[in-house]
Amino acid sequence: MIEIRNLTKRFGDFVAVDHLDLAIETNEFMGLLGPNGAGKTTTISMMSTVLLPTEGEILVDGQQLNRKAAAVKRKLSVVTQEYSMRQDMTMNEVMEYQGRLYYMRKKEIRAKTAELFEFAGLSDFGHRTVRHLSGGMKRKLMICRALMVEPEILLLDEPTAGMDALARRQMWDLLRSLKDRNLTILLTTHYIDEAQALCNRVAFIDGGKLDVVDAPLALIDQLGPFAVDHLEDGKLVSRYFPTREAAIARLQELPDDAVLRATTLEDVFVERVGHRLTRG
Amino acid sequence: MGILTVLWEKWAEFKRDFYKITVAAMISPLMYLLVFGLGIQTTSHGEPYLNFLIPGIVAMVTMTGSFSAVSQNMSVQRLYEKALDQVMVSPTPLWQFIVGQIVGGALRGMYAAVVILLLISPIRTSLVFSPLSFAIMFLNGTVFATIAVALSFLAKSYTDAPRFNTYIIMPMSFLCNTFFSTDQMPHGIKEFVQALPLSQTSDMVRAIAQGGEPNLMGVVVLLAYLVVFASISFAFIYKKKNL
Repeated sequence: MIEIRNLTKRFGDFVAVDHLDLAIETNEFMGLLGPNGAGKTTTISMMSTVLLPTEGEILVDGQQLNRKAAAVKRKLSVVTQEYSMRQDMTMNEVMEYQGRLYYMRKKEIRAKTAELFEFAGLSDFGHRTVRHLSGGMKRKLMICRALMVEPEILLLDEPTAGMDALARRQMWDLLRSLKDRNLTILLTTHYIDEAQALCNRVAFIDGGKLDVVDAPLALIDQLGPFAVDHLEDGKLVSRYFPTREAAIARLQELPDDAVLRATTLEDVFVERVGHRLTRG
Repeated sequence: MGILTVLWEKWAEFKRDFYKITVAAMISPLMYLLVFGLGIQTTSHGEPYLNFLIPGIVAMVTMTGSFSAVSQNMSVQRLYEKALDQVMVSPTPLWQFIVGQIVGGALRGMYAAVVILLLISPIRTSLVFSPLSFAIMFLNGTVFATIAVALSFLAKSYTDAPRFNTYIIMPMSFLCNTFFSTDQMPHGIKEFVQALPLSQTSDMVRAIAQGGEPNLMGVVVLLAYLVVFASISFAFIYKKKNL
């Protein structure tokens, strides 16, 4: 279990993460959802000890996570938003380096690399240098690297950022299959459909502050699973209803351009936080 | 164990960039030897100038080889590739990562020195390079690799690495007993320059090479630099808020 208590990170006067409290149960797939600049990556960076918190603490199974806590760090693996690996290494070397950092034997490293490359469809590229890989392959390699050490906790920071639609779907399949590995996963994303498709629970974060934590469907049900959109003075207005009948009744009162649709997690985010996930 | 992991990473890099590393290690010392040693034929203290120059050049390449092997690599890993994140989150103790960088850097400095010694081996001199000379050169390499580690934590962009080279390594190369004796410097500057690590190394390596006794106080000075900069590096990797 991961407990984040009162976690705060300031960069000068700017508060990137503001007294965050969050508990993630063992074997849970938790999504941390928020727009760019919400504090998601800063939170992950503190969990990977690259950044030290200004206040607060992170506990893993009751033990404090810090740069000296080797036993706690042994349980963690991170897939960062950026391609955090040596660009001049081959894929096999990236995996071997990771295995060595976690004290794995060479034989074990080779066997695990072969298994994970097979799982991710990378078997034919082991000798290819990282800088010659496509973005999607680099992401897959980072997931293989993270799984190499059989972590109990996997931190995924925007694992599909910059991927095209097809590659994202493939990555989702890969991430979905991780659920069978009894991992506790924290996924940060600003893609609403990603969180909805993969996570047991989601936490909304905006301006460094946590808003709400619940299951995606529960959040949608609280708002109303049926939405009716129409234009009012040139602005899109959405209303939410607990039943289809209520939504249809409202639709019939509105002009022809009104539409009935299913409520999404993004609607919940907009209603709670006051703006959309992708600002623009 | 973590030290061996870093050495493995350095070895993989060395194998991959063998030719680039070897050529880079040779170019400037070879130029200095050709221009100052063979081009401008002169004597120093009644001996051929080469007898003065060669030990200085060999000491200097252990400095440049060690420093550049670590500073460029660490700055790029931390700021551009973000590969340091992989180390930070791993259970490998961070002090072992630092020690691995220092030893790996010093070995690269030794490699550069050996390349130069092989290149100058056809030149007939009476110079002697004993195991003690190599031990001093290795110690010098650890000092400059440690300075490089500490500075790489201060770098704000990966273009800072060449700047450190300009501010620290280049002046030391020219001033610290490599091309001329620090004895000829004005009072005040002389004491300062003599206290710098490369001056001490050049002095000791030259004394051994010319069949004399090195002033082993230089070893104490080098060890002091090593302890200070290693402590700074450990403090950075454990305490720096934003790596």
